[in-house]
Formats: sequence, C-alpha cells, structure tokens
Amino acid sequence: MAYPTAMWDVVGLWTGWVLMLTIYSYPLYKENPVYRFSEHMFIAIFLAINVVTNINNVMRIAVTPMLEGEILMIVPLIMGIMIYAMLIPEYRWVSRYPIALLVGAGFGLGIRGTIGPNIQDAIASTITAPTEGGALAWFNFLYIAVGLVCSLMYFLLTMEHTGALKAPTRIGRLFIMVGLGAYFGNTVLFRFTMLTGRAKFFLEVLKLIPM
Amino acid sequence: MSITEKMANMDRRVFYWILFFAMMVPFLSPIGFPLSIAPNTQDLYDGVTGDSIDAGEIWIINFGYGVSAWSECAPGVTVVTKALFREDAKIIFMGPHYDVELTMNKLMEDAGADFAGKEYGEDYVFLGYITGGEAAITQLASDMRSVYPQDHHGTDLDDIPLMADVNEWRDIAGVLSSDTGDWGAYFLRQWQEPHDVPLAQIGISMLGSTGIPYWLAGNYFGMSVGSRGGAELEKLIGELGEATTAMDSISVSHLMIVIAVIMANIGVLTDRGRES
Amino acid sequence: MSQVLKREVVYAFTGLVTVLMFVEYFFFAETWSLAETIRTWAIIVYNISLGLGAIQLLRQHTLNLQRKRDNYGYSAVVLAFFAIMFLTGMMGYLATGQQTDNGIYNWLFVNVYTPLGATLYPITGFYIFSAAYRAFRARNIDAALMLIAGCFVILSNAPVGEAIWPGFATIGEWFKFTGQIPGMRTFAMVGALGMIAYGFRALLGKERGFYAGGGDE
Repeated sequence: MAYPTAMWDVVGLWTGWVLMLTIYSYPLYKENPVYRFSEHMFIAIFLAINVVTNINNVMRIAVTPMLEGEILMIVPLIMGIMIYAMLIPEYRWVSRYPIALLVGAGFGLGIRGTIGPNIQDAIASTITAPTEGGALAWFNFLYIAVGLVCSLMYFLLTMEHTGALKAPTRIGRLFIMVGLGAYFGNTVLFRFTMLTGRAKFFLEVLKLIPM
Repeated sequence: MSITEKMANMDRRVFYWILFFAMMVPFLSPIGFPLSIAPNTQDLYDGVTGDSIDAGEIWIINFGYGVSAWSECAPGVTVVTKALFREDAKIIFMGPHYDVELTMNKLMEDAGADFAGKEYGEDYVFLGYITGGEAAITQLASDMRSVYPQDHHGTDLDDIPLMADVNEWRDIAGVLSSDTGDWGAYFLRQWQEPHDVPLAQIGISMLGSTGIPYWLAGNYFGMSVGSRGGAELEKLIGELGEATTAMDSISVSHLMIVIAVIMANIGVLTDRGRES
Repeated sequence: MSQVLKREVVYAFTGLVTVLMFVEYFFFAETWSLAETIRTWAIIVYNISLGLGAIQLLRQHTLNLQRKRDNYGYSAVVLAFFAIMFLTGMMGYLATGQQTDNGIYNWLFVNVYTPLGATLYPITGFYIFSAAYRAFRARNIDAALMLIAGCFVILSNAPVGEAIWPGFATIGEWFKFTGQIPGMRTFAMVGALGMIAYGFRALLGKERGFYAGGGDE
C-alpha cells in the first residue's frame, strides 16, 4: 500500500496513528482519560459493526429465503428472537430453547469430529514406530510414547498420586512443563510479531520507512 | 543492591520504552539474519506447488484472522495465494471476521501482480463474512449455498461461473485455513476428519504448539507457524516481503526477552548462593 | 406443567439435537436433510443471538448516563459512537446492500476500528516482557524445564538464535517437534475426552450451566 495522497485518507492514516499512541499511553505512561476515551470508542464501534454485520447476515441467509418461499425459515427467526427473552427476568426460561439448539448442535458436531484427530490419530501417531532415522528417531519415539502415557496419568488419574502412581505422574508433570515452556516460546513470537507490526506502522506514517 | 535487584525494582515503563524503540531500529537499519526452513513449512509449500496441484482445481482459503494478526498470517496467505494462482488453481476466499473485506483488499494489494492476470468469478471468488461457528463450517461441507446464498458483492452463487458446479466438499481440492485457532479446528473436525479433504494451517505462532501434533499425525499436510513461517514461505517462493523484513525486529525483541529471563535467573542463583 | 416446559423439555431438546448430529455422522453415508436443516437453524439463531451482548452493554451504559454514575462521560462516548456507526452502517446497507458503501461508516471502520483493534492486542507484548524478568524465575525443576524449553523455542523462532549458535535452532526444533508433543497431545486428548464427557452430561440433563436464570434450575 502506497502512502495515501487524498486528504481524507491522509487524515484517516494520522487518526489511526494518534489512536495507536493513545492506547499505548496506558503501558508507556499510565491510565489516563485519553486511553479510556479510545477504549470506549473502540467498544462502541465494534458493537455497532457486530450488529450491522449480523443484521446483513440474517437478512441474507434467513429473511430473504423466507420471503422467496422457504416458509420454514420462520422457525429459526422466532427462536432467535426468543433468546432476547433473557433480558426479561420473568420470561428468561424462554431463552433456554434457542440455547438448547446451539448447545446441542455444538456438542453433537464437536464430539463427532473430535474423536478422530484428537484421540485415534494421536494414539496412532504415538505408537507408530519409526522406520528410518536411527537412534535419535527411536529416542524421540520413546520420549513421546512414555511422555504421553505419564502425562495422561497425571491428568486423568484423579486419585492421590502416591505409591506406584507417584513416579509416573511426577514425570508426566515434567513433560507437561516442557510443553508449556514451548507454548510460552511460541506465544512470545505471536505477541512480539503484533507489536512489530505496530512499530512498523509508527515509522511508516512518519515516512521514516516506505509504506 | 545487585544489578538484578536494581532491574527488578526499576519502573517497568522504562523497559517498555526501550522495547518499543528497539523494535523500530531494525526497520531503519536492516540486518538480514539467515533463515532456515522448517519441515512443516516445506511440506505446506510442496503441497501447494508443482505436481501436488492440477490446473483448474478449486481451493478454499479461510481468512480466520483479523487486522491484529495481519503481521502473523497475511504473509503466508499471500505466498500460498501466489503459488496456487501460478499453478492455475482457482480459489474461494472467505472469513469469519468483520474486517474480512479489509483482509481481502490487503491480499489483493500484496499479490497484485498475480491477481492482475486473474478474473473475478472465473479464477477466484470472495464469499465474504461467515459466522455460525462449527455448524457453519459443517454446513459449508454439505451445502455451501445455505451458508452463502450470494458472494460478498451480493451476486447469487449460481450466477458466478466458478461456483456453478461447486456446492460441497467433493468439489473442493483442499482447504488452507489461516486462523487464530478455532476455525482451523472446525475444518479439521468437519472437513478433514470425515471427508479426508487435504487441509493445511497457516496460523499464528501459538498454533505451532497445538497444531504441530496434527501435522505429525498427518491431519494437516503442512503448516506455517506465525510470521516465522511466513518468512520461510517468502524465501521458498523467492519473493521476500513483510514477514522477512519483520524478522530482524523479531530477532531484537526475542534476544531482549531471553536476556531478561537469563538476568532474572542469575539473580535467583546468586541469591541462593548468598543464602547458603 | 410449566416446570416441565422450563426444564425437562429443554434438556430433552438438547439431547435430541445432539443425537441427531450423531445419527447423521454414524448412520448416513451422505448428509441427512433433517440434520442440515437443524444446522442452518443453529447458524441463524447464532447470528441473531450476537446482538444480545450489544443490547446488554448499551443498556448498562444508558443507565450509567441516566443516573450520572462515575465516569458517565465514557458511557456517553459509547452511546454516541454506537449511534453514528449503527446509523451510517444501516444507511449503507439499505442503500446498496453493503454497509461499507457508506463513506462515514467505511472511514471509521478503516481508520478507527482497524488501528485500535490492531493496537489493543499487542499490548500484552509489553507485559510478557516485564513478566520475563520479574516472574519467570526457575525456582524449582518444573519451572527450570519450562524456562529452558521456552528459551530454546524463542531462540529458534528468531533468526538471530541460529546466527549466534546453530545449536539453538537444532535444539529449539527438537523441542518444537518432539519435546512439546507429549504435553500438547495430552491437552488435546484430555480436552476431547472432557468435551465428550461434558456433552453426554448435557445430553442427560445433568449439565445445567447454560440454562441459568428463569428460576427452577
């Protein structure tokens, strides 16, 4: 994207730059009214976008088909309106029906799809011995297999971890800590990449680097 | 007072300023550290280039990320879009974020040369915003028109040549989901697991932990992890871009955090030594 | 009767929808039109329900403003900007079918919402940095392992690590492709088992957290 030339585009670019600094005034200085203003403005705009976009969506996938002859679409439209009964205390129970539909569909779809990749394929991948790679490949295979068993014992065995359970669950906890450490390492990349994007934007608007 | 105690007592805002400005320096004065390619990224690139792709086959690219994650996901998506277009594959773009239109505009700018040779409606189509979570993705696999009666611009799918014979998972050669976590999992559970549709993830860095087991198990045919993955893809396609230029800044910030951790722990060790 | 409508029928309905999804998956080679219809309805209800949060928040801020509670000025900001964005968006949508076709809406979307959204999330990067030197101390073997794994992954993610010593990249890759796998796979498996257990509890009506409110839980 080239540096804009149209007046309102330039105003918009600098507006975004200033708003970025108002948000960063919180960690870099302290909480202040300008930060709070920007924060509340964001919430308001986000909510409005949410509402307008979803009105558009509902019209597209429900109302328009209903007006074109799919009469059954009246059912989810009524159920969707029922969910707003949550706002009226004496009729709050009416909102349980659309929630039941969402919860039932969510669980049904989630459960039927999770067994394969998260249980079957994970076990298969863990117990498949390496066919090449030598000693290191076998070490890695045993590391993963033993680690998975011990970690599962740590999580799933909810009785007290004493006696014969003490050693494997303790080892399982160590494997989990290694996993969490790697997760932390990846989280750092995520957060700092986003911050890098903002640092770059800071310089681009000031024309210190090309946009 | 030791240096580590002084550091721990220092106002943290000093460190924030140092970090913020330190991250800017590499943009003003690039360093250019070498970059190696991870096997998961190589698999992803191999899966969207060469013999893996037949001309005319249709892929879905899911923009499961918003503006805040552009620096993480957009470079990888740009590269795979270029790669698919150069193999004459056709692409359906869609996404679950309100700013999906902005993300599409950015992609069209970043891969402008490749889009210039392609025609909307014939070679690619932008379906726009999707919501409804896992139910929407499941329904997309069985009846796309119930989720998307029209594309983002309001044109009926039946009037779009690319979508004429496309309505379910059988018509799709593969899915590339670029997201912050949930939507890739929906495609995994509702497209890859039941129907074996090839699926790859171009995700944020945290998916480097949760997604790598799926790549190892064969659920994902490839995986790009965060901006590092984007930089690796840029190197593979031979066109350096945003992710590569960001790597120097990433290097500075990562080095700073490791030094901070080491100094904090030197303090722990010296305190223990003093106590004993 | 009203108690049955408020409770048992709701649980039965949840169970029925869940079972329909299972039946489609396990007993139908192709999709089942009834399950498709239920899913389409769920998508529409989901879309409509997203307005609930907006209404609650607007109601709260309106009350703040009416009663002049602390910081009610910010509530005025919320209501004003919501009104501007909503009205301009609806004007754009009613005119052309696309809310972004309204100039004011589009300008606010691109130049206010987008930079603010892109800026709010990276704030945590600062806090991770301060946490690194204040809190990430290897006080025992668990924390030490976590830190060692974290540092090697950090140095393998950044090209500078490999430039300083190639071993950082090698060891970091080992942590990424082997070291973390038992832990991450455990989380995935336990999460899947938990979802299955939770789902069956919801199916049997034992899990009632979703239905809070309305009396007679």
